Amino acid sequence: MDSWVVAMMLGVSLFLGGVALIAFLWAIKTGQFDDENRMMNQVKFDDEKELNDAAEQEKKREKLKKKEYQPE
Amino acid sequence: MSNVKCDHCHLVFRDSVMIHDEELRFCCNGCKGIYHLLKEEGLESFYTKMGEATLAPPTQQYEASENFDSPAFHERFVTRSNDNLWQVSLIIEGIHCAACVWLNEKALHKMPGLMEAHINYTNNKARIVWDSQVLKLSAIIDMIRSIGYNAYPYDATMQETRANKERKEYYLRMAVATFASMNMMWIAVAQYAGYFSGMTQEVKTILNIAEWILATPVLFYSGWVFYRGAYYGLRNGAISMDMLVVTGSTLAYCYSIYITVLEKGEAYFDSVSMIITFVLFGKFLEVLSRKYAADTLDVMNKYVPSEVSVLEGETIRSVSVSEVNVGDTIVIRTGERAAIDGEVIWGEGSFDESNLTGEAEAIFKRKGDMIISGTTSIDALLHYRALKDYAHSTLNNLVNLLENAMRQKPRIEQLANRLSQYFSSMILFLAIATFWAWYFWPHTFDQSLMVGISVIIIACPCALALATPVATIVGLALGAKRSILFKSAAQIETMAKATMFVLDKTGTITQGCPAVVCATYHERFDRSVLLALVSSSKHPISRGIVEYLEKTELQMDAGNGISEANEIPARGIVGRSNGAMIAGGNAFLMQDMGIVTQIKSDKSLFYYAVDGKLCATFELQDLPKEKARESIGLLKGYGLRVVMLTGDHAASAFRVADEVGIDEVYAHVTAQEKADFIAKAQGEGHVVVMAGDGVNDLLALAGADIGIAMGNGSDIAIEVSDIVLLNDSLTSLAEAYAISRRTYGLIKQNLGISLIYNAATIPLAMMGYIIPLLAAVSMSISSLLVVGNSMRSRWMYK
Repeated sequence: MDSWVVAMMLGVSLFLGGVALIAFLWAIKTGQFDDENRMMNQVKFDDEKELNDAAEQEKKREKLKKKEYQPE
Repeated sequence: MSNVKCDHCHLVFRDSVMIHDEELRFCCNGCKGIYHLLKEEGLESFYTKMGEATLAPPTQQYEASENFDSPAFHERFVTRSNDNLWQVSLIIEGIHCAACVWLNEKALHKMPGLMEAHINYTNNKARIVWDSQVLKLSAIIDMIRSIGYNAYPYDATMQETRANKERKEYYLRMAVATFASMNMMWIAVAQYAGYFSGMTQEVKTILNIAEWILATPVLFYSGWVFYRGAYYGLRNGAISMDMLVVTGSTLAYCYSIYITVLEKGEAYFDSVSMIITFVLFGKFLEVLSRKYAADTLDVMNKYVPSEVSVLEGETIRSVSVSEVNVGDTIVIRTGERAAIDGEVIWGEGSFDESNLTGEAEAIFKRKGDMIISGTTSIDALLHYRALKDYAHSTLNNLVNLLENAMRQKPRIEQLANRLSQYFSSMILFLAIATFWAWYFWPHTFDQSLMVGISVIIIACPCALALATPVATIVGLALGAKRSILFKSAAQIETMAKATMFVLDKTGTITQGCPAVVCATYHERFDRSVLLALVSSSKHPISRGIVEYLEKTELQMDAGNGISEANEIPARGIVGRSNGAMIAGGNAFLMQDMGIVTQIKSDKSLFYYAVDGKLCATFELQDLPKEKARESIGLLKGYGLRVVMLTGDHAASAFRVADEVGIDEVYAHVTAQEKADFIAKAQGEGHVVVMAGDGVNDLLALAGADIGIAMGNGSDIAIEVSDIVLLNDSLTSLAEAYAISRRTYGLIKQNLGISLIYNAATIPLAMMGYIIPLLAAVSMSISSLLVVGNSMRSRWMYK
């Protein structure tokens, strides 16, 4: 019984730690730490308008993609 | 009078000078324009986001944005990710706060066809992707300018991207290694406790499996760089430190799996991850302080004008330098740099040739004179006929020579690398010997293998890998505190081995601008008129006189009673004051005015005459920098050979050399001869340090083992060199050498510590006394000792 508890505790904590690590790696990879000054100010520019802006950009990109896939 | 804030830039001015616009106040029309533009675009929330920050008022942009659409520009700066999506990297000027970033991105995103605009707040670099069918780059630039910023392109070169990518890769590997090692530690604590107080095999196996899971990504993901390094080392026939790390950790890893599966003995997973983490950390420090040579060439290309103005009939057309043919007529304006050699056919003016010849004085050119590419027009507007095409022009030759010099730059092998080769082979040999000795001294295979592996693990060069990087980082920090910028850590070691210092004269030993050393007054005259006269000119001699007058004549204002001050190139300045004709300049000017001057001097002379009567004579000289003599004395005290090379004439060279105490002087040396001199000295076995500041020193700087540039030297000299002295002083030069020597001493100490440590523990391992706990502890202590020793040196050397 004892060793089962040890194994479970170890497994759970390593899994949780691993999730955090993967999130951290993802953040590094996507360049979220590249610009330290902007990172510190990010909270100021994080409201509805910014989301709409991002959505607009996404739309533009999709439109372009569609244009490219048009059969000649 | 009350002060009010400008509603756009938030700078405070008196109310009376502001532009009133109903309730609003603006300091200039630029601010007003931008304010209304933002209002129209619905971007006025910029001002709430901006808070209390202030902006620089917008400057008028005269440069046409059409240049950004030219094919030559696109070829250099624009990349095409696919047919329509184009990308450019810009540096945005004028970003003061996070709101500026927001505004730029927002305004750009509003443009149709603009796919992506991302601005880095820290370095103001922007990446912009746009649809080339909908939008032109010039429109994007116009938008950035219209909201009060400016943008200019930069080459996001392969080198920079690669360096960033490599650094990021290391971050990832370090994150994984650190995470795993830290978790490994608390599991290891349980295991060590169990080793002494007893633990069931079942629990031990569970702990081993957890460690196994953690050690796997460390070895194969984080440790991948060592596998790669070991492979390349082997291919070159060398057993490198990487090889030792790889064999040690891989063997320990495999052995530990074997232990875990068979459920007997002690596993070494913790040592595996610790070795990799420590050594990776050392490697990371190295990567951080590495310099990429190819970046320099990129800057060199920036220094070369990419376009010239060619006169075709009546029209002036911008043409890429490579398209200019021999015989074309080229127009050069004030401040422009010539890209092509030629002969003047129209116009006149002075040129700055100090780049190529080192001569500080401006050269006056008129019809029939030669224009050398790489020189800059100071005040000349002239037309000249190309005598050579770009490929054969002086400037291009210089670029090519520089590329060669940098490619052939000698690299002195670092002590640690050399040492680790012997060390690695020796340890591998000892481990194999130990294994066989145990096996034949009858022991089981298991036991012999374990002892053999423990030898490698205990010898694994954690401390050895940290010894050099930690010491050099300390050296870099010491230098940075004293405004000495070592561009690459590896160069500290080379600098410490220097045997010869080669110094340029103008701007390196001397201040680079003439100062008055002797003034003789022949008649009484109004000094303030003279001050006004010389203030009207930007010539170095005039500036020297201004400085002198301001220093000696206290509280004197430049009289404003002079009119028609005219600069006569290569002569001096003439003007009128209260009806009197005043003139200041050299002997030629005096001759022109009918004044006979008798004084002969090797210094530059400046005469001042009122109405044809000589009033004063100033002798000017380029003086050595402060403490130049002491610093050169210090260098000589280290037993170094100190040489002065200069393009200047012999008389002034010997005078300066005499003043600062240099015995070996070569005058009238061209840029190429300087480089040859250094190559020759290197051939004789000298490790040469070259200090210089001008373009005429470039080849020498690039060719020397260490190139040192002065902080106010030309940009390109700073790029080519390995060390920059930000405060320009010669004291820093001596100090840079002292720091290098000290750092090199520290490297040796650190290597000594780690080797002694290994020498003590390896016999223990060979006798079979090492258990995982001992391996872990000894590894940490030796690494701590090395780091601690480096820190100690840092505190001691204030």
